[in-house]
Parts: sequence; C-alpha cells; structure tokens
Amino acid sequence: MLKILIPTLFLLPTTWLTSSKWLWPTALTQSMLIALASLTWLNNSTDVGWATLNSYIATDPLSTPLLVLSCWLLPLMILASQNHLSSEPVNRQRMYITLLTTLQLFLILAFGATEMIMFYVMFEATLIPTLLVITRWGNQTERLNAGTYFLFYTLAGSLPLLVALLMLQNNAGTLSLLILPYTKPLLLTPFGSNIWWAACMIAFLVKMPLYGMHLWLPKAHVEAPVAGSMVLAAVLLKLGGYGMMRLMVMLEPLSKEMVYPFIVLALWGVIMTGSICLRQTDLKSLIAYSSVSHMGLVAGGILIQTPWGFTGALILMIAHGLASSALFCLANTNYERTHSRTMLLARGLQIALPLMTTWWFIASLANLALPPLPNLMGELMILTSLFNWSAWTLVLTGAGTLITAAYSLYMFLMSQRGPLPQHMLALPPSYTREHLLMALHLIPLLLIILKPALLWGWFA
Amino acid sequence: MLSRVTRLGPTLPRILANSGVRFVSQSQQSASTGSATLSELQPSHAKDSHDHGEVNHYVKNPDYHGFSTDPVVDQWNMRLGFFFGVSVVLVIGGTFIHYLPDYGMRQWARREAERLIKQREAKGLPLIAEDYYDSSKIVLPAAGEE
Repeated sequence: MLKILIPTLFLLPTTWLTSSKWLWPTALTQSMLIALASLTWLNNSTDVGWATLNSYIATDPLSTPLLVLSCWLLPLMILASQNHLSSEPVNRQRMYITLLTTLQLFLILAFGATEMIMFYVMFEATLIPTLLVITRWGNQTERLNAGTYFLFYTLAGSLPLLVALLMLQNNAGTLSLLILPYTKPLLLTPFGSNIWWAACMIAFLVKMPLYGMHLWLPKAHVEAPVAGSMVLAAVLLKLGGYGMMRLMVMLEPLSKEMVYPFIVLALWGVIMTGSICLRQTDLKSLIAYSSVSHMGLVAGGILIQTPWGFTGALILMIAHGLASSALFCLANTNYERTHSRTMLLARGLQIALPLMTTWWFIASLANLALPPLPNLMGELMILTSLFNWSAWTLVLTGAGTLITAAYSLYMFLMSQRGPLPQHMLALPPSYTREHLLMALHLIPLLLIILKPALLWGWFA
Repeated sequence: MLSRVTRLGPTLPRILANSGVRFVSQSQQSASTGSATLSELQPSHAKDSHDHGEVNHYVKNPDYHGFSTDPVVDQWNMRLGFFFGVSVVLVIGGTFIHYLPDYGMRQWARREAERLIKQREAKGLPLIAEDYYDSSKIVLPAAGEE
C-alpha cells in the first residue's frame, strides 16, 4: 500500500519543485509510474481475499479494481487538462495538479480503508478537492451554483451515515470491515431499525446517484472542467457503489424488505434518465444523464444482493468508469474547438476531424454496451440477477437498454454525421495528445475483457 | 498576421485593404446591468482562453502535438506520454497481469476436470458419481439406538 501512497504523496513536491517548463511531462510520467505500480495489487496471493493488510488499510478483490482505476485516472486527467490550463499562470497549474493528486490520495485511502469511520472521513475529504476544481476552474458562472448543489447534496446525504456508524460502533464495539460481518445485527425498535438502515444507505445512494437524488450530478458535470468531469464520472460515483457493497453485508436481516422502494427507483431512473438523454441539447449534460442511468443499473445490481448482482455491478462500474471518462474527454475536445457544449452547433465533425470520429464511435458503442466490451458483461449479469428475482424487471431493464442504445447513437449521429455547419470550417486538427488520451481510455477497456476475472470481486 | 490566414480565408484581403481602421468597440459599457457581477466572477484569463484559434501553433511548430508551445517540451512530452502510457503501463503492465498466478487454482481445476471427463468417457464410467461421499465408508448409527 505504501509503495503507492508515498509516490502519490511525493507527487506534490514534484509538482511544486519542477521547473515550469517541464511541469506537465514530469507529473504525467510520475503518475504513470504510480499507475504501473498499482497493478501489483491485482496479484492477490492470500486465500481469505484480504491482502497488503495493516491496522488501517487493506485491499481485497472488491477494492483492487477500483483502486487501480483511480490510479489510472490521474495520468489521464493530467493529459486531458493540459490544453485547458495552458493559458493560466504556472502556480495555478501547479495548484490544479496538487488538487488532483490529493484527490487520488483520498480516493486510495477511501477504497483501501478497513475502518468504516476512516472510509467515511475519506469519502467526505474527496469533496474538497473536487469542489475546488469545479468552482475554481469551471467555465461558466453557474459553476458556483453547481458547487453548492454538489456539496450540500452529498453532505446532507452522508451526515445520517455518520450517526448510524457511531451507533453501530457503540453497539458492536468495532467498525472494522474484517470483524463487522461476524458481529450480531444491531437491535433497535422496528421503526428505529428502518431509519438506521436508511441512514446507512442514503449517503451512498445520493453519491451513486439514485434517481430522485441525482440533480446535483448533471450540474456538477456540466460546469466542471474536463478533469473534474472525468474523475467524477469514473471514480467518485463508484465510491457510492463501493460503500453500498461494503455496508450491505452488515444490514442483513433488514435489507430484504427495505430495498424494494430503492430498486424501483433505480430501475425507473434508468428509463427516466435515458429518456431525458434523448432530448438533451447539451453534450456534457447528455453524458452526465447517461451516467445516472448506468449507475441506476449498478444500484439495482447491488440492492438485489446476489453474487451475480454484486459481480455485475463491479464490472459495470469499472467499464462505465472508463467509457464515460472517454466520452467526457471527447466532449472536451469538441468544447475546446467550438467553445460550446450545444450539440446543434457542433455537427458533422466527421468531415473536419475524421480520426476523432473513430474514437467517438468506439466510445459510443462502449456506452451502449456492445460485445465484446465489459459494459455488456456487467449489464447482462445485473439483468440476469434482477430477472431471476422478478421477471417483470425485464420490462424496465430491457426498455432501459433500448433507450441507452438509442441515445448513444443519437449522440454519435448528432455530433459526427451530416454536413459541417458554415461557422466552423476552420477547426484546429485533433492533436496527438487527444488521440493518446482516447487510446489510454479505450485500450484498457478492450483488454479487460481478456481477463475478466480481475473484476469478479469476491466471487472470482 | 500569418497566423490569421487559415482562419479568415477570403475576408483577409478586405481586412488588409482597410488596415487603417481600428477595431474598437464603440458601444457603451454599462456597469449597472447584471453583466458586471458576471465578469467579476469570471477569472481574468477566461477571456483570453475563449478567443479560440487566435494562436496557430502550427506556424511556430509544424509538428505540434498539443502538449506545449515550446517545440522541444512538446515533443518530449509526447514521447514520455507514449512511452510510459503505452509501452510501460499497457505493455509491461498487461504482460504482468497476463502472467499473474492462477488465483485459487481455478484454471488448474478446469484442466483437471477436462482430463477426468476424457478419462471416464474412455472407460465408459458415468462422468460424476451419484454420491458425493463413498456410501460404503459412511458409518451410520444402528437403527433404534437413541
């Protein structure tokens, strides 16, 4: 664990001490090497699943894929923000990289924590760098409003979790993930138990976000700079899914009855947010709503609490992390050229940027879950486990899949096909940097399917 | 002026012909409207970064890769990105993941099962016995004994 944490920590002096000329190459190289080192977590040699164990931090098959994903995202964020920040004073560029690095540090500690309170603290700590990145480097004035939504939705959702965790600590005497599954369930009044269950879950359902508590997400995504959108879609939403999977094992007798309204909301949300995507005019907003839709499926897979549901949720989380981050990068390449997120203003780009169209095509297909991409594998496993619970869910999940395909193709056709509008005949060509960025998103996505056992979580 | 050639196209000769004209906005700046607060909230550099395309990087550096305005840094940043991103992480990392040890001996178990199936089929035995435990080895308590 320390072989990742210490180099990440030392990325901060690297950022502040390198000469301004070599700032971005150095930060990129060091973060790439950290990402390489993080792959060693995948070598799980213990039979119990927990590895690199010490008193506070450990990894297990559930957290390793998410940890590797968060380590991989930092070099990609650095690569993506280079052009966006090129006009800023060098100290602000350094500050920006510092914020992204601290975010990675908090994410590693959150995914690696064995103590629920440490997980909680790190879960909250990730808000600070993200909020600063959104409200300081966003492009419109509405970013302040988006920051308020982002902060207060998450805080209001997660304060009950703190109370619930402290109660659990009071009763069980521990909050260690290694011990909690073996403790007796918390005994409260029936009503109190229900409240306690809801307090444990709402924080993560807001973060996921569940349909009905998702309004902060499109705002935050639309206003955030490219790195903020990337990390929000790829890793921060997954904190919610990860927390739910961790807590589900301790909520055992209550969950059977309590999950119904939330499964209904999650599946209904898949259809509703998919339908919202179909009539979006704003490219980033469309991708943000498609994230809500996919995470609804993940929430459904987790709440159903079967091995296949959990595995499917984890696979879909990783696959969606790479695919949605790739889409946000593509949206940013459009934004840097046209200075508008409106899809009507940036049509027919295949003529101007033909190779970028290939990346758009692959990323759209990944988003709509085409075989052989892992997105399909995750969706199929979740669909199967939901169908096994109740055949009627197929109506919702099937319609959701259809709508996902429809809006992904709508996004691709709107932005790439057709004649090029008159006002954007002289676009700068796509840069090597952007092609590298897209390749580093989509090649790992394609490679994962060659060894899907990495993402099977506890049930490998 | 060279940098503007690609962007302006046919309008360029007109601009050059009227080079005496200064392009200064003549409209009144009103501070009382809401736009004043808006501009205060925008970072000072935002205006520059939104004037897209005014700097054509390809004039100074025809091999521009999108990393830096300095051609040397630009090229080295590209090399470092490709080397560490593709050659190191994807290739070396991918090889490492491919050769990870067989967790829980699952691949071995599958190979062993396939071998056993072939062996049993050749001998004409049932693929799997009906009883998990050999029933002759189970010692049951005598009937009627409490």
